[in-house]
Amino acid sequence: MRLPAFLNWKLIAIFVVGGFAGIAFTLILIEFDHYTSSEEFCTSCHSMELVANPYRESKHYFPTSGVRASCGDCHVSEGVISATIDHVMGTKDLISQIMHPEYDNPIVSLLHTPEAAFEAREWFRETGSATCLRCHVKEAIKGTRADTLAIHQENTEGKSCIDCHINLVHRQVPGKKVFKRDAWNQMVEEEYGLEAGMAEKIHKGEVSPPDVN
Amino acid sequence: MNKLFLIIFFLFLIPFQSIQAAKADVDQSELGKWEGQACMDCHSKTSAGLAEQWNESRHAQVGMNCMDCHHAEPEESDAIEHEGFTIATIVSPKDCGRCHVAEEKQNSSSVHANAVSLISKRLPAMANNIGGKAIIAAGCDQCHGSVVKVKGDGSLDTATWPNSGIGRINPDGSKGSCSSCHGRHAFSKAQARDPASCMRCHSGPDSPDRAIFEASKHGMAFFANKHKMNLDGDTWVAGKDYTSGPTCATCHMGAAGKLPANHDVGLRNAWNLNTAVSERQYLVIFEDGDKLEIPESQPVPDRGTEISKIDGSLGKVKTVVPPDRRRKAMSLVCLECHGKNFVNSFMTQFDDVVDLYNEKFGKPAQAIMVELYDKELLTPTPFDEPIEFTYWELWHDEGARARHGAAMASPNHTWWEGMYLVGRNFYSKFLPQVKEVAGDQADTIIKTYVKDNEEHHGWLSQPGKLSPILGYGNGKVNGE
Repeated sequence: MRLPAFLNWKLIAIFVVGGFAGIAFTLILIEFDHYTSSEEFCTSCHSMELVANPYRESKHYFPTSGVRASCGDCHVSEGVISATIDHVMGTKDLISQIMHPEYDNPIVSLLHTPEAAFEAREWFRETGSATCLRCHVKEAIKGTRADTLAIHQENTEGKSCIDCHINLVHRQVPGKKVFKRDAWNQMVEEEYGLEAGMAEKIHKGEVSPPDVN
Repeated sequence: MNKLFLIIFFLFLIPFQSIQAAKADVDQSELGKWEGQACMDCHSKTSAGLAEQWNESRHAQVGMNCMDCHHAEPEESDAIEHEGFTIATIVSPKDCGRCHVAEEKQNSSSVHANAVSLISKRLPAMANNIGGKAIIAAGCDQCHGSVVKVKGDGSLDTATWPNSGIGRINPDGSKGSCSSCHGRHAFSKAQARDPASCMRCHSGPDSPDRAIFEASKHGMAFFANKHKMNLDGDTWVAGKDYTSGPTCATCHMGAAGKLPANHDVGLRNAWNLNTAVSERQYLVIFEDGDKLEIPESQPVPDRGTEISKIDGSLGKVKTVVPPDRRRKAMSLVCLECHGKNFVNSFMTQFDDVVDLYNEKFGKPAQAIMVELYDKELLTPTPFDEPIEFTYWELWHDEGARARHGAAMASPNHTWWEGMYLVGRNFYSKFLPQVKEVAGDQADTIIKTYVKDNEEHHGWLSQPGKLSPILGYGNGKVNGE
């Protein structure tokens, strides 16, 4: 067989190998994204374990239907590119854990939970609550109360799920506009029996948190 | 002289005249915030009962919507984000007072609004020792009011909310809960004027007014003629808008003849009736509108002096209303239906019962208890000894019932449910327990406070009188 002038066997070999490598890479990436979206993987970091505890008592963990939403089902976008980007963005918790060994202290974790919640809500808003819609179909939401269907059909124009549904799964955090850091810190102090003012110092990194693990 | 007094009396009431016109003090164009126009789209579905009550309310008719009351600024401690709007669940008297200025002002200084402070010293002994946190939340605080706590996560602490207690301390610092009587979301005038509103709390041992009212002539007149009571009326002046009978609100806060309505429910009370020993009480009104009850045994402050208020802060005395003027105000209500002599004589009968309770049982029992503690015959721990319950029930349950019974004209509660039980308790339970506790010292103690009190307890030293109802002397009556 005679090859065109711009091609040679070497080049073809590179294309073929490269092509297979590309396919392999994509497949691995899909598998990797899939694996790293699981509860098992996410909670292999202790800091995520703290976040997961309220989730394990929520409706999304034990729905009557038995369809369990794992971490990635909600927090990782559809499609390998978006999924990979979300995972890369998600490494900030991993980096924080490496840089600050106290990152997985429950007190430290609770102190920065509000910012994490605001960020997550913002992400849901920007994506039009796309991950919710993987499972939930607006037209099919009948609910247990007679008017749930009507509300979802008549009163949701211009809204996405997150606009109404917050504090469903994780620890309750107020809306960003009404959030009060002082009140949150005081709550943490009461919960962990800390002296007044300690929460702020721990949050700023001025004082090490007591070991409550 | 009498006329001069009346003139002075009405001058004193002038600041409260505005209440008679129960109209809200607000420009109607300010009502109906645009943010609130969409609320009902969902809430007519999610909370249909609430929405329907609202739709039928006067508030809805004048063009208000949810956000007129539930609007909140983000910096308010109990503000939450709800469907993109900033709202607060709790509508406090401060919110209501934006329009209902006079009512809010009168109520916020009343005994009702101070119902938490007033029992704060009693609570540790009663609620904590005998009850517990769950009882405080679901019992005590539901009438007296909770100190509502907003948690850091924006939720309202379930130990303090839901709560409609009349002295509730709200997250915005205001005192009281209008919805305690004016149930949300209908805000029905008729409901607030109906004794049923008051009876939610004013029933049971310490405030047995439900049963007393029901058993009184006033209750009889009300229940038989409820349809004539004009309970829905825009104005509700006794003697003018209705004449069939009074409700709790009529006498304690309602307008009657020239007497204006007032949301300070304790204003017309000359006595305190829920204490171990009753005293006539002065009402101190501070320059900032706060009020304080001073029993007549304590020094009455002069105008302009600074004294401690209920919450412990200092206040400058603006005026002091003596008990006879408060009695006069109450009597003005009576006079709409009764003659002057009838009213004054009724008040004498009432005062005599209070005096009898005080002198015969209240004061001796109190003095004995003080002595038992002084001599360390009782431990200082409250309610760890039977006599402490006996004494508590003597004045708090039975004694209060007798006194309230006389105040509101229920013969049954004055005697059988009241003073009879006080007497039975005193002679058959309290004094025997004093003997148990005090041993050798009992005779001296009882002699000092009881036996030497010839007028009231002299019968104890006169055995031998016939008492056929008990079987003694049967057959001797009428020479049989």
